[in-house]
Amino acid sequence: MIEFKKVSKSYDGKTNVIEGLDLKINSGELVILIGESGSGKTTTMKMINRLHEPTSGIISIDGKNIMDINPIELRRNIGYVIQKVGLFPHMTIKENIELIPYLQNWDKEKRAARARELLELVDLDPDIYINKYPHELSGGQQQRIGVARALAVNPDVILMDEPFSALDPITREQLQEELLKLQDELQKTIVFVTHDMDEALKLGDRIAVMKDGRVIQFDTPENILKNPINDFVEYFVGKDRLWKSPEMLYARDIMVKKPATISLQRTPAKALEIMKEKRTDYLVVVDQAGDRPKKVVGFVTPRELRNKTEAEHKMKDIMNTGFIPVSETTNMVEVLNIMKEKRRKNLPVVGEDGYLKGLITQTSILNLFADAITDLDDDEGGDDK
Amino acid sequence: MERMSFFQFFMNRIDQVIRLTGQHLQITGTAVLLAIVIGVPIGILISKHRKLANPVLGIANVFQTLPSLALFGLIIPILGIGLVPSIFVLFLYALLPIIKNTYTGINNVDPAVIEAGVGMGMTYSQILRMVQIPLALSVIMAGIRIATVINIGTATIAALIGAGGLGELIFRGISMDNAHMILSGAIPAALLALLVDWLLGMVEHFITPKGLRGK
Repeated sequence: MIEFKKVSKSYDGKTNVIEGLDLKINSGELVILIGESGSGKTTTMKMINRLHEPTSGIISIDGKNIMDINPIELRRNIGYVIQKVGLFPHMTIKENIELIPYLQNWDKEKRAARARELLELVDLDPDIYINKYPHELSGGQQQRIGVARALAVNPDVILMDEPFSALDPITREQLQEELLKLQDELQKTIVFVTHDMDEALKLGDRIAVMKDGRVIQFDTPENILKNPINDFVEYFVGKDRLWKSPEMLYARDIMVKKPATISLQRTPAKALEIMKEKRTDYLVVVDQAGDRPKKVVGFVTPRELRNKTEAEHKMKDIMNTGFIPVSETTNMVEVLNIMKEKRRKNLPVVGEDGYLKGLITQTSILNLFADAITDLDDDEGGDDK
Repeated sequence: MERMSFFQFFMNRIDQVIRLTGQHLQITGTAVLLAIVIGVPIGILISKHRKLANPVLGIANVFQTLPSLALFGLIIPILGIGLVPSIFVLFLYALLPIIKNTYTGINNVDPAVIEAGVGMGMTYSQILRMVQIPLALSVIMAGIRIATVINIGTATIAALIGAGGLGELIFRGISMDNAHMILSGAIPAALLALLVDWLLGMVEHFITPKGLRGK
């Protein structure tokens, strides 16, 4: 675990670029530091391996104050990947990867075996690449070597300073995917600096949004998207962001929370009345009336009610039980697919406890779009309110 | 008396020419070696402490700018004449290209490479030894090459203060109005400069790290 306690940093002794920073990064977690330039994200990261030292406050790794650790020792146990890669151009790929193991006096066989293993890990064929020089590799391949080099002595913590931002979009995407794959396998504690929100949302277990040397919000990608703590975060995330990542919208965000329901013992006449009152043509049939949690047992639409208007028809007799329940965490993409493939206009949302939580209707989805579009209009219209 | 051809003249004096060429190389070589031993560390030092760079390069530049004859003249009252003052002057001449190229070579190493090295936990001396110097080596070598070639030229003048070398034939030829004698000194001196330049050019190429040659 990496912990910042009331950390401040000043370069000139007057203004603080980092101001009373508190941050806890759990082991095995990929944390993104994001912010505009000058927000202090890079300084924060570089304080972890003492490339910059805090002016006040304490930074500890697994409970140990990093100022008590020899900086060379500290850095050798922290992987470091930078935007410009910084491979040693006069050394082969093998020599580049083996450098720190060599300085740590690993024997030759162990070093060579490790270099091959790491090349395979970053998806480069050792037989082809191990004796090449950096300039013979593409930018993406070079950064793979950068990552391999950072993993050489198997450090628990890895710092990544905008590692993919100089790459073309396709290569960037590939490397992001592979980082996620690697992380699944290796479970390192990764501190990743970026200014790219798409990248942050894609990679981060948690995202720390920084501004003026402070962490404004430190939360999961979903919460950053859905519940930005203030206008700055909302602006930074971008209001339309949610629409670019529909997989982050879940059934619980789309559904109507109090859908029109009817209990099993009710009559068609009552059903029609409710439909009229609630202006809907879809009623969820539930196991009991009242305010207690209800289980979904079916649904009725005017079609089920046709020709069955007599009082002896109860809901339990005429309801359609072919409903398709979705869980609260089914994402928007899946919801839309189900609606399209099964030709459903309404999907009841059922919680893990088996009770009805809400109903996704075409109108609820439309409303969500309408909200977003209004938001976008507001943005474009400027501040003339 | 039959006029001797230049070739005959030269062959008659070949032993002397060889001896003087050896002397010439010795003076130049000693001066350049001294300049390397002193200049390269100074270049490294000012690349680490950048504030020193301008004053140091400024001083070295002064020696470079002074006309060689004037510098010899200035040095005689202090060190007298002969081998030592000659080598000293040539040494001063060789310093600037060597210091400057060492400084430039080390400074021009991609900062990203240095940052990676520091971030990975290399010490200053490891970075210097394993990264900066290997990467700067060809630039440093280019400085040594320039210094040597300049010195081969300047060393001919050193004959004036009794250092010997091929300049001796040139100056004696001038005073005796003997064109053959002048050429016996001047042609070997010119060829020597070209040859050494070519040789050191080869060295420069071969010490350029393989990973950089392809670029």
